[in-house]
Formats: sequence, structure tokens, C-alpha cells
Amino acid sequence: MSSSRAHEVLYESEAALRLVDQELSGMHDARDAAPPPAPTISLSDLPNILEQANAQILNVLARLRESRAALQTTALERLQTTHEKIREVTSATEDAAINIMDACDRATQMVDELDTIDQAETPDREKATGIRANLRDELFLMMGALQFQDITSQQLAHASSVLVDMEQRLLDVARLFDHNVDAGRITLRKDAVDEATFDPNATTRNAEGRQALADEIFTAVKAPAA
Amino acid sequence: MKFLVVDDSATMRRIVINSLQRIGYNDTVEAGDGQEALAKFDSSIAFVITDWNMPNMSGTEFTKVLRSRDDGRSVPVLMVTARSVKEDILTAMEAGVNNYIVKPFTPQVLKEKIDALLPAAAA
Repeated sequence: MSSSRAHEVLYESEAALRLVDQELSGMHDARDAAPPPAPTISLSDLPNILEQANAQILNVLARLRESRAALQTTALERLQTTHEKIREVTSATEDAAINIMDACDRATQMVDELDTIDQAETPDREKATGIRANLRDELFLMMGALQFQDITSQQLAHASSVLVDMEQRLLDVARLFDHNVDAGRITLRKDAVDEATFDPNATTRNAEGRQALADEIFTAVKAPAA
Repeated sequence: MKFLVVDDSATMRRIVINSLQRIGYNDTVEAGDGQEALAKFDSSIAFVITDWNMPNMSGTEFTKVLRSRDDGRSVPVLMVTARSVKEDILTAMEAGVNNYIVKPFTPQVLKEKIDALLPAAAA
């Protein structure tokens, strides 16, 4: 038996014993509260009782195995990736905001320079033309920085899909122990995200490196002729 | 020269169209997904710029259908997408995409890719 399997068995046994202990404690409390029952169990009944207890423990173990499968490791990995993606959204949003604010500062300075040129007795039109060209570049840079919106919306869509998936898994586990769970207030979301509309690996990072990879592949493998 | 710009993000469509205008291409048509793009595509379209991940019909599916049409067989298709793993890039090539831009992109990269495909478009 491998160490991981031994660990699993130990874990399941402990969980099952806890449940049995809980049941016995309940019986014990009930016995203390109630008047002492008449001794109706004979020694000859013991094998039958132990057999029933064994069946109950096996049943509990089977349910624990099912719930473990429902919350498998891949689900946890997806949650961790989602956490990283959400942190990246925050970072990308801040980077874009700083880029736009920097461009705004530079654009404001250029407008001030244009005002100064206009107020001069002999305005330097050539210089003004150059500043206007730079001003257009800055405005265009601001617009380009807004590309983060498309990528972060894909990252958030991915995070949302993982949460819906977790919701489904948790509901599956809840159903193992309570078949009437759907009758309660727990209901699965119906407006799940369309997985065709986002790339789970979408990122704002290392655009140059990723573009270089695309260029390398298109160069290495002959692209279809237009 | 008329460009067809396909992206489900209205922000990205505006950024691409503004980038095109900045490098001198003012004639553009927009579509929000592959199905709408197919409906809007006709022989007047000289260049297609498409996203990958879109509802209803993806950019690769759209390109495949376009390549099966007589009027879309030779039009240059430039994919602009966040997808950037090797398998994705190869899949796009197999679908019939002529070149590939990774988001977020700079206007310089867009211009380079269009310039590289334009002689073919003009031929």
C-alpha cells in the first residue's frame, strides 16, 4: 500500500469513526435523558448489530469517496489559477490607469505649450504643428491602453466560469447527503458563461514575447497564401 | 480599400478601427461575431481583421467558412486575439488565417502585418 493510499484510508477511517462516535454520543445522551431502558439486547444479537454497524460504516465510506471525487484536485487547481487571474486583473487595470494618466499629463503640457505659442507676437507655426502631431500620438496611446478592458473581461469571464463549476460540484456533494437539497434555497445558476467567448489563458503580460512566438511560428510554417 | 473588423468587444472594434484610420484606412465594416461577419462579407471587402473568441461563431470557424466561399478564398485574414499558445497559433493557420497579432497590440504591429499582406491583397 502506497503512503498516499494509506493516508487516504486513514483519513476515511477517521471520518467514519467520527460519524459513528457522533451517533453513539447521541444515543448515549438520549439514554441519559430517558429512564433506563429494559435490557432487550442479548449477546446472541451482537453479531447482527455489528453487521449492521459495519454496513453503515461502509455506506459512509462510500459517500466520502464520492464527495472526494466531486472535489478533486483539479478543481482546487482551477481555483488557484482563478485567484491569480483576478490579481492580474487588478494589476492590469492599475497599469492601464497609470499609462492613461501619464499620457493625460503629457497632453496637458502640450496644450499649454500650444497656448504659449498662440500668445506670442510671431507664433511658431512649425513648432505648433509638431506639438499637435505629438498630442495626437498621446491621445492614440490612451486609446490603445484601453485594450486591457477586452483582456480583463476575458479573465473575469474565466473566473466566473470556475465559480459556476465549483457551485455545481458543491451542489453535487450536498446532494450526496441530502437528496432534497434542490427543494431548499440552493439552486444552480442558469446563466453560466459561454466558454467560447473567452480564452482561459488571456493575459496582458509579455505581449512582445507572445507576439514574437506567433511571428516565429508563422515564419517557420508557411502561412497560407492570401 | 474596405476592411471588415470582427470582434465581440465593442472597445476592441473601436481601437482597431481607430488604428486603421490612423494609418489611412477609413473604409471599415464592423461585425460582433463570425455569423454576422459572414452575413456582411461581400466582394467589396478587401481585408478581414478578426478576433478568435466570440459567441455564435468563433474567428477560426468564420475563417474556415470564408475560405470555402468563392468570394472569400483569397481575401487576407489577420487574426487579432489574446490566444497565444503554440497550438492555438497553428490551429489558426490551419483554419486559413494569413497572419496573427497577439493582444494587447501596438499600432506599429498592426501596420506591419497589414503592409506585409497588402501586396497579396492588391494582386
